[in-house]
Amino acid sequence: MNRKLTSKFVIPLFLTPAIILFVAFIAYPVCNTIYLSFHSWKGIYGSPVNFVGMKNYLQVLQDDAFWRSLVNSFYFMVGGFVVLMPLSFGLALLITSKLRGTKLMKTAYFMPVMLSTTAVALMWVYILNPSFGVVNQLLGFLGLESLQQDWLSTPGLNIWCVVLVNEWMYAGYNMLIFAAGLVSIPSDVYEAAELDGCTGWKKLRYISVPLSKESFKIFSVLCVTGCLKAFDLVWAMTKGGPNHSSEVPASLLYNEAFTFKFFGKSSAIGVLLLILGIVLSVLVNNLLKREED
Amino acid sequence: MKRKTGRVFAYIFAAFWMIMTIFPLFITILCSLKDNAGITLGMLSLPKKLMWSNYTQAFESAHIIQAVGNSLFFAMASTVLTIIIGMLAAYVLSRKKFKLRGFIYTVFLVGVMVPIHCTIIPISTLATSVNGKNTSWFLILVYTAFALPQAIFLFTGYLNGVSKELDDAARIDGCGELSLLFRVLIPVCVPIISTEAILAFIAGYGELIFGMIIMSDQDKYTVARAMLTFTGGYKVSLGPIFACIIVAVIPMIVIYLIFHEKVQDGMLTGAIKG
Repeated sequence: MNRKLTSKFVIPLFLTPAIILFVAFIAYPVCNTIYLSFHSWKGIYGSPVNFVGMKNYLQVLQDDAFWRSLVNSFYFMVGGFVVLMPLSFGLALLITSKLRGTKLMKTAYFMPVMLSTTAVALMWVYILNPSFGVVNQLLGFLGLESLQQDWLSTPGLNIWCVVLVNEWMYAGYNMLIFAAGLVSIPSDVYEAAELDGCTGWKKLRYISVPLSKESFKIFSVLCVTGCLKAFDLVWAMTKGGPNHSSEVPASLLYNEAFTFKFFGKSSAIGVLLLILGIVLSVLVNNLLKREED
Repeated sequence: MKRKTGRVFAYIFAAFWMIMTIFPLFITILCSLKDNAGITLGMLSLPKKLMWSNYTQAFESAHIIQAVGNSLFFAMASTVLTIIIGMLAAYVLSRKKFKLRGFIYTVFLVGVMVPIHCTIIPISTLATSVNGKNTSWFLILVYTAFALPQAIFLFTGYLNGVSKELDDAARIDGCGELSLLFRVLIPVCVPIISTEAILAFIAGYGELIFGMIIMSDQDKYTVARAMLTFTGGYKVSLGPIFACIIVAVIPMIVIYLIFHEKVQDGMLTGAIKG
């Protein structure tokens, strides 16, 4: 009988499972979050849900922790452009160069992405431990006791530690993006440049970097849209604390709901996160597209 | 002369980052074999006596083996589901003409942009109302749902590049819709399917937030959740924590060492097209 399936049946039949999952776990939750963001709810199944209008939004917008969390995700973006981009591009230059052992380098550099985020976070939590962590020990060994810090509990410093661990984890991953771009530059461009006496830095400045424009674009999109998605590292390293100093929007949302039971306020953060996410990805895509024309 | 310094500099940089990459893992392995005094006196020192008991403790108090098993199962099941459901949908979206096609495709595309974190409260409530808390099937469906938009996007794009003459030839040979999809098109799509499989599997294995919300029984914990058992609260022995981390990352390292080229290609395709 199966062989007789006609198009008419096939279309709904094949699409249904995907649509059901999409509606149940993405579309409905998004609508429900929007609905809840205008209500107050203690989060106990079956307990009353009361309409409160814009109150949740006002609360969120007046909450320093929320603005702090936005600034912190902005740091993720800054770290991405200032640290991750040059680092990954440098690594990409290495693995596409004529040095020996590029294969081994590539395999090793990429590995951190494969370790799960939580594992990476925990490793670094202990490396940064104030009393016995390696970082402080090394500083002590070098006679730089004054630089020893309680890395993950000092507000202002802790978020940067998380950002840097994030760059450590994703350097190899972004390296592949840049390497793919570098490999696609035809070798006769380099040969011609060499004939004209262009070597070393100049080659990098006038050929490798400008011709990798496409890779830089992909990186920018991932970096801008990714900065709002940070959660796992932050949660596993600091839980957003102490005193909300290392909070990002996603961790704040989780804490408001599952630690403090403010489900309405948490939903309002969710809606703002959703809007910001869509605005940012549309914006960055449009900006880059306009540049193409 | 200038060339040479450049090369030396490049090697130094390469070695530096190599050490940076391996170092945390190396320390974790060292510490997983030490007792408390050995760790707190110097993380870098070599263990005086190998404390294999750290591992037995990790197995017993954090149920880490169980958690690794759970996560491998969740990741595997959701990957298989994502591929089957994704291919079914992509086949229709790429091969059939119907009114709502453009609309449905766009909706899935927008799905890629939705930050998962803004869905956690409704999904938690939904889990309670359908008795999905602490059940594997619910978590697997959640993972599948969030991997689907990207899968559909990648598969549809790939199928659009596969010539329709192949379909016609298969039809003439008497293939129905199902056998056309499963016997002809899916084999052709193996490259993109393996890309998506890698992405979905890695994401599923390390996933944290839904695992935290949906699973509260310790024997249902995902790896990520189980590793966090120790943080918070005072825990006297540090060694088992490091042992837990090592056990948790072993499956992924093994998979990576076997398939590293495929994994790298897959992640790259995912990044560039996604």
